[in-house]
Amino acid sequence: MQQELEQWKEQISHLLNVANDYLREVPPNQLYAAAAIVVFTTLLLLSLRFLKRTKSNTIVLTGLSGSGKTVIFYQLRDGSTHQGTVTSMEPNEDTFILHGETTKKGKIKPVHIVDVPGHSRLRPKLDEYLPQAAGIVFVVDALDFLPNCRAASEYLYDLLTKGSVVRKKIPLLILCNKTDKVTAHTKEFIRRQLEKEIDKLRASRSAVSDADVTNEFTLGEPGEPFSFTQCSNTVTTADASGLTGEISQLEEFIREHVKP
Amino acid sequence: MLEQLLIFTRGGLILWSCKELGNALKGSPIDTLIRSCLLEERSGAASYNYDAPGASYSLKWTFHNDLGLVFVAVYQRILHLLYVDDLLAAVKREFSQVYDPTRTVYRDFDEIFKQLKIEAEARAEDLKKSNPVVVGGNRKQQATWQGDGSEGKKNGGGLKGEGGLKNDGGDGKKGNNNNNNNNKLENGRVNGSNLKSNGGNVSVNGKENDSSNNGAFDVNRLQKLRTKSANGKKATDNVVSKAEPKKAVKKNRVWDEKPPETKLDFTDHVDVDGGEDKDRKVDFLAKEQGESMMDKDEILSSDSEDEEDEDDDDAEKNSKPDAKKKGWFSSMFQSIAGKANLEKSDLEPALKALKDRLMTKNVAEEIAEKLCESVAASLEGKKLASFTRISSTVQAAMEEALVRILTPRRSIDILRDVHAAKEQRKPYVVVFVGVNGVGKSTNLAKVAYWLLQHNVKVMMAACDTFRSGAVEQLRTHARRLQIPIFEKGYEKDPAVVAKEAIQEASRNGSDVVLVDTAGRMQDNEPLMRALSKLIYLNNPDLVLFVGEALVGNDAVDQLSKFNQKLADLSTSPTPRLIDGILLTKFDTIDDKVGAALSMVYISGAPVMFVGCGQSYTDLKKLNVKSIVKTLLK
Ligand SMILES: Nc1nc2c(ncn2[C@@H]2O[C@H](COP(=O)(O)OP(=O)(O)OP(=O)(O)O)[C@@H](O)[C@H]2O)c(=O)[nH]1
Ligand SMILES: [Mg+2]
Repeated sequence: MQQELEQWKEQISHLLNVANDYLREVPPNQLYAAAAIVVFTTLLLLSLRFLKRTKSNTIVLTGLSGSGKTVIFYQLRDGSTHQGTVTSMEPNEDTFILHGETTKKGKIKPVHIVDVPGHSRLRPKLDEYLPQAAGIVFVVDALDFLPNCRAASEYLYDLLTKGSVVRKKIPLLILCNKTDKVTAHTKEFIRRQLEKEIDKLRASRSAVSDADVTNEFTLGEPGEPFSFTQCSNTVTTADASGLTGEISQLEEFIREHVKP
Repeated sequence: MLEQLLIFTRGGLILWSCKELGNALKGSPIDTLIRSCLLEERSGAASYNYDAPGASYSLKWTFHNDLGLVFVAVYQRILHLLYVDDLLAAVKREFSQVYDPTRTVYRDFDEIFKQLKIEAEARAEDLKKSNPVVVGGNRKQQATWQGDGSEGKKNGGGLKGEGGLKNDGGDGKKGNNNNNNNNKLENGRVNGSNLKSNGGNVSVNGKENDSSNNGAFDVNRLQKLRTKSANGKKATDNVVSKAEPKKAVKKNRVWDEKPPETKLDFTDHVDVDGGEDKDRKVDFLAKEQGESMMDKDEILSSDSEDEEDEDDDDAEKNSKPDAKKKGWFSSMFQSIAGKANLEKSDLEPALKALKDRLMTKNVAEEIAEKLCESVAASLEGKKLASFTRISSTVQAAMEEALVRILTPRRSIDILRDVHAAKEQRKPYVVVFVGVNGVGKSTNLAKVAYWLLQHNVKVMMAACDTFRSGAVEQLRTHARRLQIPIFEKGYEKDPAVVAKEAIQEASRNGSDVVLVDTAGRMQDNEPLMRALSKLIYLNNPDLVLFVGEALVGNDAVDQLSKFNQKLADLSTSPTPRLIDGILLTKFDTIDDKVGAALSMVYISGAPVMFVGCGQSYTDLKKLNVKSIVKTLLK
């Protein structure tokens, strides 16, 4: 081992010498030109990457646990036939051409979709994906809405006051899922309830600006009841049923913000 | 009978479930398993009990970390199914062969599974036949805690010598040394696993406790069987050897006597209390009152990056003495090429170092242990990425786990709760509980001060009718903060005092009632019974456990016993447990922040406030990020 290493070292130093000699023979002009070319190409590559990043194709699926994000994720990807889902422990993430668009002709830009688990212990994961998001989908369980209304509103409040969301004005879609069932609440109702609940949260949250989950931004205008129209980013609502595959409004949202 | 066997991704997609078994599971055992065991960093345990109306299941699981798959078997608890572990291992092995991330349907696995199940059952049958007598000595101490607390008792008892077992395998030399470490770890964990799971009705068993009763999973047996079948039964021969390529190494079962847990070091708190409180009063007077620190943002120092790197290096040096021996060349090569798959033995040194580091930060030992096991379970079999070291991989996994634990499961926005209660025209009731001398009254006053600042009408209820001077102490705070106090002297039953206080509060329109209770040792049965009564009678909105940030191993005992007693001594069928934690004396502990982790892990309740000084303003929220950073430093 040791000997081998010694040999290697010798060889390397020899090669270095050779290279040095060669460099001396080349006229300085050419050297500068070569250096310039190298610098130029790296700059070009870097800027290309930068451009790419600003045009993100990431859509983040969020929402409480059990709202149906994972079902929707696979519906978007496979138009799926699967056996059901369980509580997610890790995000699902994939880049693909939406299943609804696979029959379309021409070149379509694939979308990067991330399904972030809704379990509150796993929420810190969200911060990893938000900075690159072109759009956020907040999935709400329209069937079992009222018992979860407060929890959903709190989650949504945190989302809407996150620095990364406010600064970049990332558009958000409130997707009322499970509308295949007749007892599901309407999106208008859900929107109103969420607004009401967030309005109450505003009072308590602005008071408790904790060092931890710093809500750097406050929501809405003081003295006025909260409405989503007051948000700096656009907040829209839509219906869907992940289970039966009625997700056309979601697909529209995605294509609006990730151009094909 | 096996009820169900499921294969799903960590992302939550069910890839395969046994159609043939087909029984609809009662309740949702899988989701409960994930939420209250796997996501609570308890995946190091061996089985999980789930109770739903009309069903009591046991669940066992195994991970394929590299592919991100989870395999779960569900069976009726009363049937000690012997082949479950074996079957899970076989299914894991076979399924990983056919797994393809883009595929979501695996109907062709039905046939393979059928075969695997028959084989596993046959093996279990054979084991039974060849060893009908149960060996008495190999029962491990069982530490089962029912999640609802009503039956939480430590079962099983003494650890017996395992002599008989050793002999019956007939080849005791094999693997005697290399498993030593392993066993010790396991031993310690089983001994200490009196953790309360906080799901619904749940218990986590120590490893092997069901199966080892029958000795069916004893490796010795398998070996014996193997040699036997090599001689005679050809049919089972290949089956057995196929199934247990690794386990065939005999485990060296030498149990250390369990050291008695010493938890008697809190006798002198009572006197301290009185003295300290006097000091505090003076301090309160002296300090200018300002904004409560609850409302101030903490500026996070972001100098972590380079620091962390240094730490990594340290860990490397400490943790891997044997890695050094291998020489830098091979280890560098390893880190460049990426190692095949992480094995338990690879992780051990790094985990050991991490555990020690956590313990120097005052994390209770059994909790550090459990965490390490859980991290190990999530890393085993994973591929090490290129240019990473094991220690940093382990550290990153631990960091994620810590963040997960410390992130509250539910909202801790008390003000919102207060407003909600106000809408219902009910006062919001907070009961402060804890052992003696942790600073209950003082921190109650701080909370009152913080609530006052947010235009909440507060009332205090002096329900410490036990310790003399307690009422006066609270009265002083009340006078200084100019808030009403409800008191009834010393002779009364605290539960009744609290009840009257709440009635008074609804009369005079107070929004919040802060109930001070007597400090009590977790083992003091009469006092704990009184507390349980107080809570049952008044049904408070928040039961806040006040604990000192100074405690180490005792944190676990205090909190688990409090919860336990509250559950056991409660007359109600659905007992109230601790909802939140207030950590006191946080300013005195420097970087020994482990109690925060221990308490949260053991109770599942979030840290809602942190008391960090002597004045009314010294009340903060827990900063998860900085705690995690400190813990891993
Ligand atoms: N009726 C109906 N049920 C649905 C629909 N979408 C999802 N579900 C059900 O809702 C449950 C939860 O769905 P998941 O997709 O696993 O929920 P999730 O949002 O991914 O939850 P986490 O991973 O825990 O965050 C499943 O039992 C689904 O069958 C729907 O459109 N209609
Ligand atoms: Mg999911």
